[in-house]
Amino acid sequence: MNDSLFSQLSTLGSSVVLLFGITLLWRRSLRAYTGAFQWQSAVLAAMFVIIGYFGHDPELYFVAVFFGILKVFILPRYLERMEKRFGGQRESQPYVNVATSLILAGLLVLLAYAITRPLVLVSALPTRGGLPLAMGLIFVGLFVVITRKKALTQIVGFLVMENGIALLAVLGTFGIPLIVELGVFLDVLMGFLVMQVFVYHIHGTFESIDVDQLNELKH
Amino acid sequence: MQTLFLAMVSAYVLGAFVALPEGGGRGTLGRGLVALGAVVGAGAGSALGASVILSGAPFTLSVPELLPIAGGLALRLDSLGAFFLVLIGLGAIPAAIYGAGYSAAYEDGRASLRLLGVMLNLFLLTMSLVTLADNVLTFLLMWEGMSLTSYFLVITESGEEGTMRAGLWYAAMTHAGLALLLAAFVLLTAYPRGGPGAFADLRAGAASLSGTTRSVIFLLAFLGFGSKAGIVPLHVWLPRAHPAAPSHVSALMSGVMIKMGVYGILRVALDLLGGGPPWWGALVLGLGAASALLGILYALMANDLKRLLAYSSVENIGIVFIGVGAGLLFGARGLPTAAALAFVAALYHALNHTAFKGLLFMGAGSVLHATHTRDMNLMGGLIKRMPWTALFFLIGAVAIAGLPPLNGFVGEWLLFQSLLPGVSIPQPVVAALVTMAVGMLALTSGLAAAGFVKAYGITFLAIPRSEEAAQAHEASLSMRAGMGLLVIVCIALGLAPAAVVPLLGRVVAGLGGLPAVAPLFAVNLSLQMPHGFAEISPTLAALGLLIVPGLVPVGMFVLGANRRLRVGDTWGCGRVGQTPRMEYTATSFAEPLRRVFAELYRPTKELTVDFHPDSKYFVQAIEYRTDIRSWFEEFLYEPLLNATQWVSRRIRRLQSGSLHGYVAYLFIVLVLMLGALLWPGK
Repeated sequence: MNDSLFSQLSTLGSSVVLLFGITLLWRRSLRAYTGAFQWQSAVLAAMFVIIGYFGHDPELYFVAVFFGILKVFILPRYLERMEKRFGGQRESQPYVNVATSLILAGLLVLLAYAITRPLVLVSALPTRGGLPLAMGLIFVGLFVVITRKKALTQIVGFLVMENGIALLAVLGTFGIPLIVELGVFLDVLMGFLVMQVFVYHIHGTFESIDVDQLNELKH
Repeated sequence: MQTLFLAMVSAYVLGAFVALPEGGGRGTLGRGLVALGAVVGAGAGSALGASVILSGAPFTLSVPELLPIAGGLALRLDSLGAFFLVLIGLGAIPAAIYGAGYSAAYEDGRASLRLLGVMLNLFLLTMSLVTLADNVLTFLLMWEGMSLTSYFLVITESGEEGTMRAGLWYAAMTHAGLALLLAAFVLLTAYPRGGPGAFADLRAGAASLSGTTRSVIFLLAFLGFGSKAGIVPLHVWLPRAHPAAPSHVSALMSGVMIKMGVYGILRVALDLLGGGPPWWGALVLGLGAASALLGILYALMANDLKRLLAYSSVENIGIVFIGVGAGLLFGARGLPTAAALAFVAALYHALNHTAFKGLLFMGAGSVLHATHTRDMNLMGGLIKRMPWTALFFLIGAVAIAGLPPLNGFVGEWLLFQSLLPGVSIPQPVVAALVTMAVGMLALTSGLAAAGFVKAYGITFLAIPRSEEAAQAHEASLSMRAGMGLLVIVCIALGLAPAAVVPLLGRVVAGLGGLPAVAPLFAVNLSLQMPHGFAEISPTLAALGLLIVPGLVPVGMFVLGANRRLRVGDTWGCGRVGQTPRMEYTATSFAEPLRRVFAELYRPTKELTVDFHPDSKYFVQAIEYRTDIRSWFEEFLYEPLLNATQWVSRRIRRLQSGSLHGYVAYLFIVLVLMLGALLWPGK
């Protein structure tokens, strides 16, 4: 009874997390991206708590708290600040249009199911239903990075992918050691800060945060 | 022996270290210390080699903890390695002494004396350790060290036009060679057992390899070592790199380093693989003969003195390979004594070439030093301005042309003697091949004589063709000392082969089942071939040559001939006004040969005559231009380079410069790799 509830909750949570990831594909304003990321991170933090509760691992509560502080408060705050500075730029012309993006995202999730099938088949974890969804989220995050032009969108895409990895890790292992988690958080934060610096530089050089302008640097 | 080894290594290392600090290797003291390190190191190396050859006991030193992978550094000096270590010393000592004076020209900042000093010593050290290597790792490490340091030596004058290009050619050829060697050693080591690759294991395991594998290893090694040795068609880097390098470095590279290719092929084909089917020898013999002939033919057409010498190195390495090929061929045909003789002849010629080619490159360096040009058409008349250099160069030229009583004659005589028994091998193909090789060798010797008449005559005789040549000055003392040493070696090797040849017999004895031929030679004034085929005494020949021409002036003196000294123009021909424009030039001297071998050269001629506008009987200017076709560049290297560029340009499209593109590559590879997991049958 308990296991079945756990399994349903984890699958539901993973689905919600993935849905927020896919949101990025049809929204165009940068503000909407930040919101989607914030909500996704909040649900993910809740997932940590759920898995910590059912998996009897109190360490995960700490991870959830850190995770929440970092990804629900700090990073969205920075993102908003950058957004204000660049004045409501929109992702007007992505490389792949919205309809095609959604179809491709669906295909990527299918691929994730196909790839994780052998793992899910042999796994006895109650959380196994979420594994393909986490894998799908990683793909979707990367897909956002590839097909969207604004540097800010790419940062969000990267953070979403990072969320996917965190989800996969917690579903598959019920929490990696706290020290590793902390290291990963620090990595994300540092990576984010470096990217932020770059975005400011790109904006300063090209008067735009369209990454495809970087092509001019060739030769 | 251990002391000598340590002395060698530490002298080279110290020689490199004194040049290392800021401003190192500069000034008389700095250059002297660099040269001292090299001389002491080379001297200790030679002594070590000589003691191994004389005592017959190999020197072994293993330092596995110095490099704890693949067996670590393993050193063992057997008689074959010892011979080449002596050869290195023979070339390095005079070159280092000469270099101390020669590199004074770089004090003006044209080139980094610091880099030159460090690299020269490291080059000699790594090259010496190649001969000592006793496992695959040590060998390849030292081989690559030798290649890299010599690359830096080639580009010493990096400011000069064409030097970097020459360096690029050299680096590309030597690394292509290294790739082939790696493949050869991987095959030799990994199959069938694997293991750290000690040479003793390889030697023992080689017999169990299949015939095809052995042949593939041989081919890879032959091409790899051949690219270092400079056999046709892998010779293209020599005429580029040798002229670009400082002259004492040219002397080292041409005189010594290319012999490492010979060492390598002897080590792998004869020692590790223990010989093979007859076609191995035939291939080496054929390519050797082709290198000899083509090398000297291209040398004849060169107007750049150092380029001429570089092509002549191709010729001489070809002659060495004729001997090696004949040895492998005879060994495979079951004629071990003849095989050992052929190897001895090859080694003797290698030793000779070190002496006279080093001498000639140094002579050319002195000329370059004095006239600031390598173009022979701008030289002339240097014999009066640089008498010592002219004398030394003459001795080197006579030696390389194979005239008695100098060493070139002895080496080629030995080679002919060792080839001639092969004519009677009862197999038409082999007999024909050996006969052809004899013919080509004879033609090569004749052409070499012509080539060095050109090199000497155009450079040193007649009247100067340019202001620089007229203002030339004699080389400095240390340069003359370096050349003088090699002159002594040339004469000694020419007069006393009977003392050297038995030692060379010891060197090859036992390799790949060869018998000891040392006792077969009669050690006295004359050199007797074992099968009673021929006998020669260079010492007596030299005496004869000294006495007969010596009698002529004495006789004339006695007869009371006209003893008045007359001063006249060189090649004056009775003309009243004599200008340099009336002289033979390097191009015109070679013109008859250009016509005879027109099939090969396909000379292009371009004659432009400017007439006076009023009458065509008044010629204002004549411009004559001629060039020869370089087949190898045109039909081998150009297509190869074009193909490489074509492929590279297509690959370059991947470098779109688009950030999205690069991330997309990652993504696509990730999806494909994960997708590959779904492949059925896994």
